[in-house]
Amino acid sequence: MSKSKRREVVASVEEAASKIESGMTVAIGGFGADNHPMAMVREIIRNGVTDLTLVGSATAGLEIDLLIGAGCVKKLICSYVGQELYCPIGHNFRKYSEAGELEVWECSEYTLYAGLFASASGSEFFAWRGGVGTSIPELNPDMVKFIDPIGGEKEILAVPPIRPDWAIIHVGWSDCYGNGQHLGARYGDRWLARAATRIMLQTERVVPNEVIRKNPLMTTIAYADCVVEAPYGSHPYAAHAMYKEDVEFIQDYVACSAANRKGDSKTWDAYLKKHVHDPKDHVAYLETVGIERLLGLYTHPTITW
Amino acid sequence: MTDHSWKEMMAVVFAREIEDHHKITSGAHTEIFFAATMLAQKTHAPNLKLQLGGSVALCNVTDMEIPELPKTSTGYEILRYAESIHDHADTFLFYGAPGGADYYKNPDKYKDVNHFWFADKFFVGGIQADKWGNTNMIGLSDGKKMTFRGPGTIGINDTAIGVVDQYAFITAHDKRRLVENVDYISAPGQKIAREKQFNGNGTKWIVTPKCIFDFDPDTLEARLAQLFPGVTIEDVKENTGFEVNVSDALSTIEPPNKDELEVLRNEVDKTGVLRH
Repeated sequence: MSKSKRREVVASVEEAASKIESGMTVAIGGFGADNHPMAMVREIIRNGVTDLTLVGSATAGLEIDLLIGAGCVKKLICSYVGQELYCPIGHNFRKYSEAGELEVWECSEYTLYAGLFASASGSEFFAWRGGVGTSIPELNPDMVKFIDPIGGEKEILAVPPIRPDWAIIHVGWSDCYGNGQHLGARYGDRWLARAATRIMLQTERVVPNEVIRKNPLMTTIAYADCVVEAPYGSHPYAAHAMYKEDVEFIQDYVACSAANRKGDSKTWDAYLKKHVHDPKDHVAYLETVGIERLLGLYTHPTITW
Repeated sequence: MTDHSWKEMMAVVFAREIEDHHKITSGAHTEIFFAATMLAQKTHAPNLKLQLGGSVALCNVTDMEIPELPKTSTGYEILRYAESIHDHADTFLFYGAPGGADYYKNPDKYKDVNHFWFADKFFVGGIQADKWGNTNMIGLSDGKKMTFRGPGTIGINDTAIGVVDQYAFITAHDKRRLVENVDYISAPGQKIAREKQFNGNGTKWIVTPKCIFDFDPDTLEARLAQLFPGVTIEDVKENTGFEVNVSDALSTIEPPNKDELEVLRNEVDKTGVLRH
């Protein structure tokens, strides 16, 4: 046996959330109605963090809308906020951006990836054609048009780096050294993680290192700086291979956030109180959801080996 | 005439556009495109290379049972139909030759088709579409500032540069949505696609609940090309915010036939998501 000992990075939700400070740039993983690190999101709101620059996933869901509605966000880097058929456009996203209280760094899915890749690769910018001929460069002066320098004449966009202080990513499982494995689709999570200075994994389970070594091909994010165990941590959204989204819960969110947009802040405040502020921690939150409801969301594991 | 819903008709209309050698990316939203692409694989395009599920899954359902159409683009159900799941950024990259049985038998026939662009067809939504086929997901403006915040462009402009044909899809036909010029452009139509030298052609059709517009090859402006059964030219003119030019080849869309409806209802949309 070696005399040296590896550093373990497991922390509680509270310890991890205390690292997210007002004014930081924070990326939130997941995609659409899936794999968002909601236990962390709720704790960040409870801490009263403000003025965040949020980097949403390419198709961000209402986890971003919740943070906006809770007053945490100053600027948003994101190409979509909504929940498709449940909610085509996030209501708080609309409310705050239409009122001029939310700065939106207009981008598309791949211009977002271009910025993340520029950050991950230490480049000054990453070049991409998508966005040429659209209103994106007018709305977002950080993107600069240039002409193909290799003898061409086509217009290209230079997208500057997007560098989150932290990327918070939900995985199926991780070991105590920060090696996380997605058990379903990973969407844009690897790119958010690679672009960030530090990585926080929210995991359904902390598993022994041997489980990770059994199939290192499945490791999507290695050596995260912090690992937080939060079973059902994506609720009300799905976690691939674990549980599906809680449709009624999402519909209730949509109704309450719609009320907020239309000026009924009472309904919205009551929502935040009930689902975010009153439960003292993640377990207390799950208790308010109820065991029967949570078990009803169970899905058969999709990926096994 | 068969008894069918508008959504079923749309699914069939799009399925007919799909050929066996195509590559398709169907991004977010709407069960109609899930149904159209799955219907095509189960009828005439079993080799269709199909990206679904937030476009991170390559799916083939030719020999698979579909208990229920997926409700969201990221639903875990889609993983069941997947043969590959990749990083979302890979969605926008080339994923192989045209494929399709005939491509390998008669390669000469496919010399000029899409070898290197990432998809042949893509369906884009919009809160507005204009006579140039530009679509807008960004928002509405009073000329000075954004008065209505739209959902965001998602990846439609990223697809626009490399997809051969994009189909703009507007869910209600009125003067607010079909306009002279969109307030913001999120996916360009044919004119801009040509000016900016995109690999793709830009918008091929604008599809609404009333009709299909295609584009005049000379002016690159929209023209009324096909009407849904029961809709009149006047009806379209009255509800469109730009001057409606009518194609010389104007036709009425053939409603779904018995065979198409049978596969759609019995194998693709068993629970009748599209029927209402």
